[in-house]
Amino acid sequence: MMRAELNSEAPNTAADILVFKKESRWKEIWRRLKKDRVAMMGLVIICAVIFLALAANLIVPYSTALKMNMKLRLAPPSAEHWFGCDGYGRDLLARCLHGSRVSLLVGFATSFATLLAGGMLGALVGYVGGKLDDLVMRALDIFSSIPDTLFAMAVVAAMGPGILNICIAISLTNIPGFVRMVRSSVLNIAEQEYIEASRAGGASVMHILSRHVLPNAVGTLIVQTTANVASMILTAATLSFLGLGINPPQPEWGALVSEGKEFLRTAPHLILIPGFMICAASFAMSVLGDGLRDALDPRLRT
Amino acid sequence: MTQETPAAPLLETKNLKKYFKVREGWLHAVDDVSVTIAPRKTLGVVGESGCGKSTLGRTILRLLDATEGQILFKGQNILTYNRKEMREMRKKMQIIFQDPYSSIDPRMSVAEIIAEYMLIHKTCSGRTAAFQRTAELMDTVGLARRYAGAYPHELDGGRRQRIGIARALSLDPEFIVCDEPVSALDVSIQAQILNLLMDIQEDRGLTYLFITHDLSVVKHISDEIAVMYLGQCVEYASSDTLFENPMHPYTQALLSAIPEPDIAMRGKKIDIIKGEVASPIDPPAGCRFASRCRHARGVCREKAPALALREEGHLTACHLHEGGCNL
Amino acid sequence: MSKPAVPLLRVKNLSVEYRSDLETVKAVNGISFFLKKSETFGLVGETGAGKTTTALTCMRLLPENTGRVTGGEIEFEGKKLLNLPESEMQKIRGERMAMIFQDPMTSLNPVMPVGEQIEEALKLHNEDNKTKDRIQKRVDEVLSMVGIPASRKCEYPHQFSGGMKQRVVIAMALVCEPALLIADEPTTALDVTIQAQIIEMIRELRERLGTAMIMITHDLGIVAQTCDNVAVMYAGKIIEMGTAEDIYLLSANHHPYTMGLFGSIPNLRTKARRLTPIPGLMPDPTNLPEGCSFSPRCFKKTSVCDEVSPGVYRNGTHRISCHLLKAENHWEAERQ
Repeated sequence: MMRAELNSEAPNTAADILVFKKESRWKEIWRRLKKDRVAMMGLVIICAVIFLALAANLIVPYSTALKMNMKLRLAPPSAEHWFGCDGYGRDLLARCLHGSRVSLLVGFATSFATLLAGGMLGALVGYVGGKLDDLVMRALDIFSSIPDTLFAMAVVAAMGPGILNICIAISLTNIPGFVRMVRSSVLNIAEQEYIEASRAGGASVMHILSRHVLPNAVGTLIVQTTANVASMILTAATLSFLGLGINPPQPEWGALVSEGKEFLRTAPHLILIPGFMICAASFAMSVLGDGLRDALDPRLRT
Repeated sequence: MTQETPAAPLLETKNLKKYFKVREGWLHAVDDVSVTIAPRKTLGVVGESGCGKSTLGRTILRLLDATEGQILFKGQNILTYNRKEMREMRKKMQIIFQDPYSSIDPRMSVAEIIAEYMLIHKTCSGRTAAFQRTAELMDTVGLARRYAGAYPHELDGGRRQRIGIARALSLDPEFIVCDEPVSALDVSIQAQILNLLMDIQEDRGLTYLFITHDLSVVKHISDEIAVMYLGQCVEYASSDTLFENPMHPYTQALLSAIPEPDIAMRGKKIDIIKGEVASPIDPPAGCRFASRCRHARGVCREKAPALALREEGHLTACHLHEGGCNL
Repeated sequence: MSKPAVPLLRVKNLSVEYRSDLETVKAVNGISFFLKKSETFGLVGETGAGKTTTALTCMRLLPENTGRVTGGEIEFEGKKLLNLPESEMQKIRGERMAMIFQDPMTSLNPVMPVGEQIEEALKLHNEDNKTKDRIQKRVDEVLSMVGIPASRKCEYPHQFSGGMKQRVVIAMALVCEPALLIADEPTTALDVTIQAQIIEMIRELRERLGTAMIMITHDLGIVAQTCDNVAVMYAGKIIEMGTAEDIYLLSANHHPYTMGLFGSIPNLRTKARRLTPIPGLMPDPTNLPEGCSFSPRCFKKTSVCDEVSPGVYRNGTHRISCHLLKAENHWEAERQ
């Protein structure tokens, strides 16, 4: 017993009687995220935007967003039309609100799809390696040798327009890059000794992937995904600008910006306001992503 | 201390080989190594970086697939085990890693790391029991229980190494590969961990394969020692015999190169061997140490010497000892 | 030790801190030592003892935004280093005083032939306008001095093994014939047989060139084999200093930490079943204990150790900073 005492660093006091039930992990992450002011600001903005998108019909009916009134053509912001009116005299506020529904849906859905498909594929090829890795990566190289827009256009052209098809097209163009990034991060993690330690303990591949590899890659995944949301909104805009995707009268942020471009000199608010909305949403997403990454990393725990 | 080896060794390797395919050819990391470890004993494996000692440890645990040979655990060749049998085997043989920083997952708490193996193998009835056992293990390795919820980065190297030891003990193994477990630690912490490892061995009747490049550590902890050079075992003897009467020219050079903490040794003639370790990729026939050996003769470059018994319990692989002559 | 006329390097009461927004790390806390020409001085201690910080401060290479000298002075060849403008310091660095780092893999530029890297050091300090041929000759000379055939100077670092790389690093440090060489754990990353080669080489070169050296290491064996004078550091202080004989003579008085260090090394000649390590850990440098920093781990501590920081006691060349020496014969308190 003497020896046990010599080896141990401090006697266990009553307070040390094990309370292994720590505060649940999610609670702890939330507590740490709350401390990050910038990330919280991002979260508030995102929530507000999502709320407005969901409640768009309650605020202004959809018909307002389509109703043309040539008398109000290019009207500047006023008490009646807060954001002014566009080239056809349509109320810009209504168009922005209803446009956010499409934009956000495309942004989030495609990012999420990319995260799921790209993340899983990347983790798998990165960890398993060998022939599977070669095969998948070469296939993806072929994929990404086709210009993104061209590829998306081809997909939409083949499957027909519609939000679902746009989402599929955009996700497909983004997956190769995502896989490559996840793979390199996983390759790095797979080299670590704790992976070997887990194998020495008899862990299966699934266990190692879900318990060690993914949690350690989560920072990269989150940051990339949140950054994707903004770029996906813009890709959707490009597609609608090319006439593939959202049909013209239907509003959408990216489309609003490209419509406003014609009147850049005479009515700059047409481009500034929807542009600002896109900026705000993507800024909010990326600061929220950074905050989440830090909150999820126990090494930054204070 | 008895010199007789008990009838049944706990672990034995027979002509174990592990080659890696590299661009230039085959890298002979472990080349025809046969060792025997008796239960409750420690076999020290010494050698310089790149001699294949870590690969040997990992191949024995089947963390790497052996190229050829046998690994007998209590007489059973574990290389023939299928995945399921091997999973069971993992409870009996464990490993402690060198680097206390990369060998534990930074995203898990101390308790989760120690309990991981028990949860994988469901050796405890439920999570609570596993964590209760974790607490006991923390006592065993001398980690205060208040660190259970801490994350690895909050602890120093010595404590992190204790986590690694607790994890290795969690499944009550009989055999542990210690892969340079104290090399990354400061001297005073190193001594704490060495004492801990020896105490646990005594209390639990463990058998160790202790891999290190530090000769004073290996002498301290081992019953028998295998000296490795470029994938091969060049000398094999009990710890005392090896240090009293090193026979292989490489072992002699290795021993004389240790800087001793004693100024009386200052004038000591160091047997400096020239050159550096040759490439382990497709090594030429003949003795692998020949290019650096002062005694090298024609035969050394042509024919590889076999590891053979030279005197009671003392094996070397060197042409100089072939006639039974002593240096 | 008779008082030398002008020591090559004199460090007096040096204190260094690393400051960040969150905390202040007291890395070095009032250390003093001096170094004569062609002497080898060993600085021993564990991780975090402040050895490397001391070396970096002597070279004035502390990280600019965090590291700060909070007191004391450093005198090198009669110049007060801490007050010198950076331009003056650049002349001293590399030419009069050079440093070898622990990891030979990262101290060489991987995309530049080794010969060019050595040349660079020469060109930077080319006051007497050596011709190209002279410079090349010097590079060849210094390479063969460290045991590398001059024909390999066009090769890149990855073509060299670890020991060879460390030789190149040493060649780079010696090319301008500095008066002082600071070696920060020069052999820790190397194998024993290679370590023996490098140490032997350093010993030979020192004798031939008369370069003074500060050998920073945690290995008491290396110090015993190479150093004339030794200082043992703990938590940013020198707790024991003297000639190698003073430190390694077992029957002499020692600081309890020094004794603990010796007790922690497995002895090659005697068989002891258990080691006698020092319990506990190095104190947190952001929050050093009151009194003697070693007292929480000391098996000989008395109540005074927790309250008063011990002064330095001296017996000939041997200095120890511990309250225990107060009661010993032949030891007298040294005035600060």
